Amino acid sequence: MRREPAHHAARSGETCAAVTPFRPGERVAPLIAALRAHITRLEQGHARFEATRGKASPWVMGLPELDRHLPAQGLPRAGLHDVSPRAHGDQPAAMGFALALALRRLSDPQERRPLLWCRLSAHEREHGRLYGHGLERLGLSRQRFVTISLKRPASLLWTMEEALKSGAVAAVIGDADAAHADLTVTRRLSLAAREGKCAAILTLASAQPCATASHTRWTAAAVPSASPAYDAQGLGPPCWSIELTRARGGRPGAWILEWHHAQSRFSLVPGFSRRTLHPGTDQGGAEAALQGPALRAG
Amino acid sequence: MRGMRLADARAQLPELLTEPHEPEEDMNSLLGLCRWMERYSPWVAPDAPDGILLDVTGVPHLFGGEQRMMAEIRARLAQYGFGVRIGQGATIGAAWALARYDAKDIESLPVEALRIDAAAAKTLRRLGLKTVGALLAIPRASLARRFRGESIGENVLLRLDEMTGARDEPLNPLNPPTSFMAHRALMEPVIHAEGLEIVLGGVVNLLCRDLERAGKGALRLILKLFRVDGSRANLPVGFSVPTHDPRHMLRVLKPKLESVDAGFGIDAMTLEARETAEALIQQHGFLEDDSTLALEQLNDRVLNRHEAQFLALEQVESHVPERAEAARPSLKRGPVKPARPPAAARPLLIFEAPEPAKVVAAVPDGPPMRLTWRRVTRRVVKAEGPERVAPEWWRLTAGERPRDYYVIEDEQGRRYWLYREGLYGEPGEEQPKWYVHGLSA
Repeated sequence: MRREPAHHAARSGETCAAVTPFRPGERVAPLIAALRAHITRLEQGHARFEATRGKASPWVMGLPELDRHLPAQGLPRAGLHDVSPRAHGDQPAAMGFALALALRRLSDPQERRPLLWCRLSAHEREHGRLYGHGLERLGLSRQRFVTISLKRPASLLWTMEEALKSGAVAAVIGDADAAHADLTVTRRLSLAAREGKCAAILTLASAQPCATASHTRWTAAAVPSASPAYDAQGLGPPCWSIELTRARGGRPGAWILEWHHAQSRFSLVPGFSRRTLHPGTDQGGAEAALQGPALRAG
Repeated sequence: MRGMRLADARAQLPELLTEPHEPEEDMNSLLGLCRWMERYSPWVAPDAPDGILLDVTGVPHLFGGEQRMMAEIRARLAQYGFGVRIGQGATIGAAWALARYDAKDIESLPVEALRIDAAAAKTLRRLGLKTVGALLAIPRASLARRFRGESIGENVLLRLDEMTGARDEPLNPLNPPTSFMAHRALMEPVIHAEGLEIVLGGVVNLLCRDLERAGKGALRLILKLFRVDGSRANLPVGFSVPTHDPRHMLRVLKPKLESVDAGFGIDAMTLEARETAEALIQQHGFLEDDSTLALEQLNDRVLNRHEAQFLALEQVESHVPERAEAARPSLKRGPVKPARPPAAARPLLIFEAPEPAKVVAAVPDGPPMRLTWRRVTRRVVKAEGPERVAPEWWRLTAGERPRDYYVIEDEQGRRYWLYREGLYGEPGEEQPKWYVHGLSA
């Protein structure tokens, strides 16, 4: 066994007590007391360290009205969430909302890892491929973005799981068909996310009745945006009708949110926040949309 | 008897077995045997029609000496049903001759052993030159005068020099030789995946140790599995960055190993680095850290399993939207060139091929009022535009016309990014057409 030279240990006052050699004949009681105090100090320090490490700052939406509904006032940082479009045509809105969720996660100053978006080539044909300039318009820097296109859903889920486990990315967004995201698959992804301390977001191709192991489930739909004050014909920031349909440890709810990419934050659209929506049909979205401008003006 | 007719042969020996002559099949099996012989040396070349050349420089001590190695080759090939004659020499010519003619040294070899054609050999014999030794005793000049043939088979001097080593004869190996390889031969054949993984671990560690010492990393590897029945399985893998990390290599190789049919068992394994590069300590970008390495390693696993890789969307200096961006392998990302982002709105999703749409507008070149796309008609509530994008004149693509881009929002708040190709009132041009090019969140 290699022995540490004495001067190494003597450098710090902390470890000095621990290496003081015991010489018979000396008084033992003060030495033992000193060692006990030292151990207590070490244990307390470790407990403090554990406490701070276990309790990383939560993944909040930045809106008290919304965060109230989430478990522990925010989403778990390492967990699986899924976003479904309310109707087929709402897929871009669902993807936009999934990106906004991920951006809330990425805006944490301690988080430097990139975002990975796994696409299915069939979905790319149907809805188009991701466009970097458009991602920048929603607030994602292309330096922090990596994408991959896979042919088979099984390959995509494998890649997602491996990416989550590796901990190389802050968040993984993945396209999935409802048929492939069953309880077993989502459970695996959820465990992988916990292992790699990553966030996983599944963007499902349709609102599915099937059970998943996600922490939260969201439904998103597009809503007419508010025009800027100077241009009645112009388009405002992206506006989505969001419903939290399931939240483990939280409460479901529905909101209409605007996304402000420059500050990476949501805001509630006034007039809509306290209204009860009747989602599930396209009609609900359209109705709300038609009433939108009138309410906003008032 | 060579040249005898089949009917004559059958008449003399009725129970004669016949097989049709298939030179291609013969060559294939010879090549197969060559690949199998790579377990002894990486420098193997087929010598059609019936020989294999093996450069064993520095090899025999690995098998316990020359005699033992030859005995092992002989025994192994006998197991597969091949009769084999082995000749060993300092030159290809000598080894070739000693494998085919019984002699103690090259002087006592018959002249036919010189790889010359039958006519030349016959001439030599008629001159009383029956052995190589006799030829060597004659002054070169007189030999050169007599046998200055065009055909290589006739050129006795050339063959003589090649046999004695006065002239170099290169051996073209079947596979390019690699400088980094690790080999493991097993006492007993292994069939189970667990056993193979253990052997693989050993081979990978050996290779990585050599690579690390040389300061190199592997970019392309080939894992060769030698089956007991003489066949071989090849597993190629690639890496996006030079690597000599055994853990990472194993993680990439293991899934590949699962797909291999071990047959009756695998009794040797070779791992070769086909392409290596300097394994430099990489300097990461400002926004990157240790997670970059994890991403690189993840990319290798995805690449070798699903043939897809991570892409970064890079900005390109062009104002035509589909050219303003290129998807490049994210790990070969060069320095970031600052480029001006487009001033107008851009969609989250873009279609590879713009999709034709029908549009009704209040005035011909005004914003759309009604959009019919994918057989659904939408009423346009808001529209932003137009943004004129002219074709790039320096690209001589015929038929490209200026585009007017609009972002529109329909009653339900869904956003489309569409353009009108062409201008109204241009003489000689067909009517403008509308396309949906992207979708916004």
